[in-house]
Amino acid sequence: MTNQSTTTTTDDVVRVEDLKVNFYTQLGVVRALNGVSFNIPRGKVLGIVGESGCGKSITGMSIMQLVASAGKTEGGKILFNESAGGNQVNILDYERNSPEMRKIRGNNISMIFQEPMSSLNPCYTISDQIEEAIRLHQTNDNVESRKRAIDVLTKVGMPNPDRIADSFPHELSGGMRQRAMIAMALSCTPTLLIADEPTTALDVTTEASILDLMRELQSEIGTSIMFITHNMGVVAQMCDEVAVMYLGRVVERATVDDIFYEPRHPYTIALLQSIPRLGRTKGRLASIEGSVPDPYSRVSGCPFHPRCPVAIKGVCDTILPEETIVDAAKGHTVRCHLYS
Amino acid sequence: MTTDDMLLEVRGLKKHFPIRSGFLRRVTGTVKAVDGIDFHIKKGETLGLVGESGCGKSTAGRALLRLHEPTAGEIIFNDPTLGKVDVAKLDRTTMLKLRPNMQIIFQDPFTSLNPRLTVGQIVGEPLEIQHRASGSELIDRVAELLNEVGIRPENMSRYPHAFSGGQRQRIGIARALALNPKLIVCDEPVSALDVSIQAQVLNLLGELQAKYGLAYLFVGHDLSVIEHISDRVAVMYVGYIVEMAKTDKLYFTPKHPYTEALLNAIPKADPRMRTRPIRLQGEVPSPANPPSGCYFHPRCRYAKDICKQERPPLQDIGDEHFVACHFAKELSLVGVQPLNDIKLEMPVKKS
Ligand SMILES: Nc1ncnc2c1ncn2[C@@H]1O[C@H](COP(=O)(O)OP(=O)(O)OP(=O)(O)O)[C@@H](O)[C@H]1O
Ligand SMILES: Nc1ncnc2c1ncn2[C@@H]1O[C@H](COP(=O)(O)OP(=O)(O)O)[C@@H](O)[C@H]1O
Ligand code: SF4
Ligand code: SF4
Ligand SMILES: [Mg+2]
Ligand SMILES: [Mg+2]
Repeated sequence: MTNQSTTTTTDDVVRVEDLKVNFYTQLGVVRALNGVSFNIPRGKVLGIVGESGCGKSITGMSIMQLVASAGKTEGGKILFNESAGGNQVNILDYERNSPEMRKIRGNNISMIFQEPMSSLNPCYTISDQIEEAIRLHQTNDNVESRKRAIDVLTKVGMPNPDRIADSFPHELSGGMRQRAMIAMALSCTPTLLIADEPTTALDVTTEASILDLMRELQSEIGTSIMFITHNMGVVAQMCDEVAVMYLGRVVERATVDDIFYEPRHPYTIALLQSIPRLGRTKGRLASIEGSVPDPYSRVSGCPFHPRCPVAIKGVCDTILPEETIVDAAKGHTVRCHLYS
Repeated sequence: MTTDDMLLEVRGLKKHFPIRSGFLRRVTGTVKAVDGIDFHIKKGETLGLVGESGCGKSTAGRALLRLHEPTAGEIIFNDPTLGKVDVAKLDRTTMLKLRPNMQIIFQDPFTSLNPRLTVGQIVGEPLEIQHRASGSELIDRVAELLNEVGIRPENMSRYPHAFSGGQRQRIGIARALALNPKLIVCDEPVSALDVSIQAQVLNLLGELQAKYGLAYLFVGHDLSVIEHISDRVAVMYVGYIVEMAKTDKLYFTPKHPYTEALLNAIPKADPRMRTRPIRLQGEVPSPANPPSGCYFHPRCRYAKDICKQERPPLQDIGDEHFVACHFAKELSLVGVQPLNDIKLEMPVKKS
């Protein structure tokens, strides 16, 4: 088998290649992204999954160029392709506040966050905020923008969209705020939607209806989605393809079916073994030894080797495994010496 | 089942909070956070308590230990030395004697430990308060407790901030164990942890239970975790227990429409088992202003006229299965399907 950095020749909305982001802090350098590569096929939902601190949010923020200024992008490419066969641009070629970047942000790529209050402005009504986005990118007509705002609120299943439109964010429940966020993100029918743990703060019944809504809208509008989560259940229900991250790298990339039925990377396998399976597991769970190393330390070789039950002495602790193709047809790749 | 197996029997427990408003902070209403719940816990067993945010799980757990003064109800605890006592009516001195037997661990390992105390002081504090140990004996006991939860005793003089979330949760468990309790209320002890650390803490709780015959009231909102750890499960909705049964019964043959909706909504970790959710109408009502009759009626797809008028009591339908629904015996509801049994094995190097 051969080593290769990125695989497929499919029509990708975004291809991230060897992205490196470092934070320079008083306590030292945090290597948040250590060479992240993956692709998002057009019209699909790509799940980004991993434990806290592995770099999921920073990956999403990088695509939007919204990483805090202490974070420096020090390598790699983020190739964005608005339409099939269209012009491919490297997002990192643009200044973060350039007109090009502002057009991409919001119009071509939208993002929704875990805590909707952090991105809804408490001083403006829901309708004001949706209409602002619409007027910025689509139409100057007030009547038309109001109509579109109500349409999109209806689409996300808001009961009473006219009344909700004139409410302030604090007057809504958590689930309704998340719907309002989704409405805002979808108001410009973006090519790509980045959803960063959009349901983590919600109750299960609300989570289920938001996921259902997102799937429905996705098949209707055809938006590609990058879905960030740490919940394997949500991945299984929501995603078409999955990238598993560990310490600032993608360690396995496969279809959602392969991730659950044919996982190859020891970390993916360990992660799946450590979650209780409904109607199945009783007694002990297989847990992963130790914990994720602190972000200031650097681990030699394979970043998972201190916790890996099948690490190869003399190899895994010194040599960083390259990305290896294990199933070319399905685009299944893994970064592990066992397969190279 | 003999009554001697019984560790805790709770009857009609209520906790209401006053709502105050205006300049004079006058009482203008009440939040019925826990509004008349009945349940029991046997020695050495785990009762899971689930329900959506704000339904009163934490309030119920705290009221058991009188961290909240109950508004009404009985909390009969079978104390090894005092016998059966009503915790709700105890005076301070008797409560102090009973306290070692009932402990609590909290959700947030980042705020539940005092940042100004060392780990040794945190774990040793209950022993000192109860005059159980001092001097070198105290240090030995603290070291033993830390060992028990997988923290190296050398770390005794460090402060909580030097530990990860999972380690802090272990320290909280060591502290709760210090006085050899019979019951530990675990209020979402793994909700803030990453999955790999969550598994370690769940395993630890299981080991300690087997070793010391501990009983747990395990509060949680992750229904997969609750299924894994519980012998029996109680489901709460707006301050009220709507269903309680042995775990398998509750998950495979639920009898309450709310339980059915909750189980249906679990994000199942199996891409070959995708489900469309049962769309519930509207939102969870506020415990300050609950609807009439069955609190679930505005959202229930099986509701009939009687549901608007009469609140169904929690009734035993046989084999320790309790349900609060007028139609518990008639409805045939859908439970969970076990996930596919996927064999996961670590790979080996092919050469
Ligand atoms: N000290 C208090 N004063 C007033 N109301 C309170 C107080 N503590 C809790 N409540 C209210 O009582 C209800 C139950 O709260 P509780 O914390 O028990 O919910 P919970 O089921 O533990 O929720 P979660 O899953 O979010 O932890 C809520 O409506 C809450 O706002
Ligand atoms: N503003 C920041 N300053 C310093 N380090 C940061 C900052 N933001 C993120 N990091 C670090 O970058 C790494 C990746 O963070 P993040 O992408 O937020 O993780 P995730 O979303 O997977 O939980 C972590 O080690 C985190 O501590
Ligand atoms: S490269 Fe080695 S240490 Fe890393 S996951 Fe593979 S076997 Fe384990
Ligand atoms: S009592 Fe009526 S409203 Fe309540 S759960 Fe049963 S059927 Fe539904
Ligand atoms: Mg994040
Ligand atoms: Mg709580």
